[in-house]
Amino acid sequence: MLMMHFLDLQLGDRIITLMAALVLVLQIAMVTQRWIVVHIRIFAAQSFFLAMIAATIAWFNHAPHLYAAAALTVAVKVILVPILFERLVRRMKIHEEIEPIVNVPMSVVISGGLTLVGYVVAESFYRPDEPGLGHNALAVAISLFLIGFFTMINRRKALTQVLALLSLENGMFLAAISLTYGMPLIVELGVFFDVLVAAMVLGILVYRIRETFESMDVSRLRRLRG
Amino acid sequence: MLLFALLLVPFATAAASFFVRPRRAMEAINVAGFGIVFLIALALAAQVLAAGTISLANSFFYADSLSALVILLTASVALVCSTYSVGYLRDDLHSGELGDDETGKEQTAQLRMYYTLTPLLVFSMLFMAVSNNLGVMWAAMEATTLASIFLVTFYGKVTSLEAAWKYAIIGGVGLSMALFGTVVAYYAGHRLPGSDSLSGLNWSVLAQHAAQLDKTSMRLAFVLILLGYGTKAGLAPMHTWKPDAYSEAPVPSAAILSTALLNCALYCLIRYYILTSRCLGPEYPGQLLLLFGLLSMGVSVPFVLVQKNFRRLLAYSTIDHSGIMAIALGIGGAMGSLGLMLHMTFHTIAKSLLFLSAGNVYQHFRTDLFVKMKGSVMRTMPLTGVVLFMAMLAIIGMPPFSLFQSEFIILRAAFEGGHVLTGVFFVLFSIGLFTGVLLLLAGMVLGPAGDTPVVARRPWRDGSLLALAVVLVVIGFWVPSPLLELTREAAKVVSGL
Repeated sequence: MLMMHFLDLQLGDRIITLMAALVLVLQIAMVTQRWIVVHIRIFAAQSFFLAMIAATIAWFNHAPHLYAAAALTVAVKVILVPILFERLVRRMKIHEEIEPIVNVPMSVVISGGLTLVGYVVAESFYRPDEPGLGHNALAVAISLFLIGFFTMINRRKALTQVLALLSLENGMFLAAISLTYGMPLIVELGVFFDVLVAAMVLGILVYRIRETFESMDVSRLRRLRG
Repeated sequence: MLLFALLLVPFATAAASFFVRPRRAMEAINVAGFGIVFLIALALAAQVLAAGTISLANSFFYADSLSALVILLTASVALVCSTYSVGYLRDDLHSGELGDDETGKEQTAQLRMYYTLTPLLVFSMLFMAVSNNLGVMWAAMEATTLASIFLVTFYGKVTSLEAAWKYAIIGGVGLSMALFGTVVAYYAGHRLPGSDSLSGLNWSVLAQHAAQLDKTSMRLAFVLILLGYGTKAGLAPMHTWKPDAYSEAPVPSAAILSTALLNCALYCLIRYYILTSRCLGPEYPGQLLLLFGLLSMGVSVPFVLVQKNFRRLLAYSTIDHSGIMAIALGIGGAMGSLGLMLHMTFHTIAKSLLFLSAGNVYQHFRTDLFVKMKGSVMRTMPLTGVVLFMAMLAIIGMPPFSLFQSEFIILRAAFEGGHVLTGVFFVLFSIGLFTGVLLLLAGMVLGPAGDTPVVARRPWRDGSLLALAVVLVVIGFWVPSPLLELTREAAKVVSGL
């Protein structure tokens, strides 16, 4: 019986590691991506795998409230936010590509370096005496956070910065579920509500910036100094 | 019961303002709503003083004297700003600042946005102050940002979009760090009994078992929290959104952001400071706070000295004061905490008065720049001039105004606590600020009359200014004993002594 439980945990750990790896790959794909619509879909795919991780942890650890978190992730980040943003893109008729500041090969190298940093930081949380899932997931979470930061600095288009901010939030969610099997449900509810509202508010703001400046290039926002 | 009412009233105010049509009704609802909130806040403070900590709904809501003080300050600023904004926005409406749509539909939509978002902003701040759960506290703090973004873009100018963008993105990054910090703090307490229930993230539970929290995690959590909520408080180097947002938002909103919201961000920092210092000793969080506090004071000095725009000048002064409060928290101990609480109270009064009188000046001269102002404020608008000058003297810490007392207490705590270097820099930076603000604002207020006509009386705005000014003067000489008691109790919560 105990053996069975242990094997279960190992299986769960493998599934989670696999999916966490996919999430990380998608994050790096986002760094290299040049088209906004594809960028949005990658974000949706990443959020989907994140929801799967949450569901897996819920299954193997018997933490039912994580199912709710997974369902919320699918509803908000896989369906609502991408639909909202794609409509925004269509409405604004964006055809131009995303121009990163650092070129693509260099960005991938930097993202690799940030992943290493993520693993080093996650090491200090590793407790060999506590059997648990998702030690790798924490490292991925911290990497997502750091790469998200890098993407925000690297991109000048307003909408890509918003997507980077949301992927940063994905990192946070992964950290929460891998460290503590998720925060209490009501907190998650609050966080998801905020994410949804933030996506809408930032979407409107992006739209107005685009209308006013006839561009989403935020490096044009430089009137206010001193 | 009081706690529920405290949250229900601003929310109902927002909803009602959203649905009513006429402008006068929106104004009346806002003023009445904030008046009731203020009364409830007073009653809550009285109850906390008399009966101690209140907790409700399975201690989901929690109010000790620290929360009561923050709530009282928030509610009073909200009340003053709501009466002021009636006059302010009417002036904007008549002068065509809200667009020149003939039918008036556009203007009404804009006013509705203002009168709906302001109560929502206040609602989220009050929710933050009464929530025991650190995660809910975070969500409420994020909600304050979301509610205030469209207040910053209120005038729809090119520059206001830029300011709002900076505010949203820098604030968003900051708050995501704060969320990470919250997660790590939750992890730090994951071995406590009952940690997987909702109360596992309750501040009161964590504070009770602070000594058993995981030390490594708590160390990381505090850094993340300091960076995160420090961004909201405008501590350097995360302060860059502040001057933009404060100079683009309508003046009453800017006044709320720079006083009540600053208090709320500091409140979050204080809550985590208490946890961290009980877990790791006061040394570790204290040093970090001193560093960021001194940096904020230091950064604001050069920007104040060469400032050309008076609303940005006020923003840098707020950055300086948030630095001062971070230093006070960093020094800690009984006296540092008392200094912090007094400073928070006095700064809220003086800075909101300063912002509101600066709003009068802006609306009259239609410029933010010192060089473009023809004629002195004192000659063209005597009442505003006097009040502005007084508020300025108060904010730079001139006796007999009360900020002198609180800064003096903080300084004394610094030297007694052995933070000599901090004390020396504190004095140096204060002198820099003193000179900069005094030179620039005095130049604006005093001087010969220009060719601008003397303004007529404006009951809504002048009334709010006078009320605040009376409070500022009185509090310089005599702090009502219940208020003093409340600050003392709040300081005890911080220092644990």
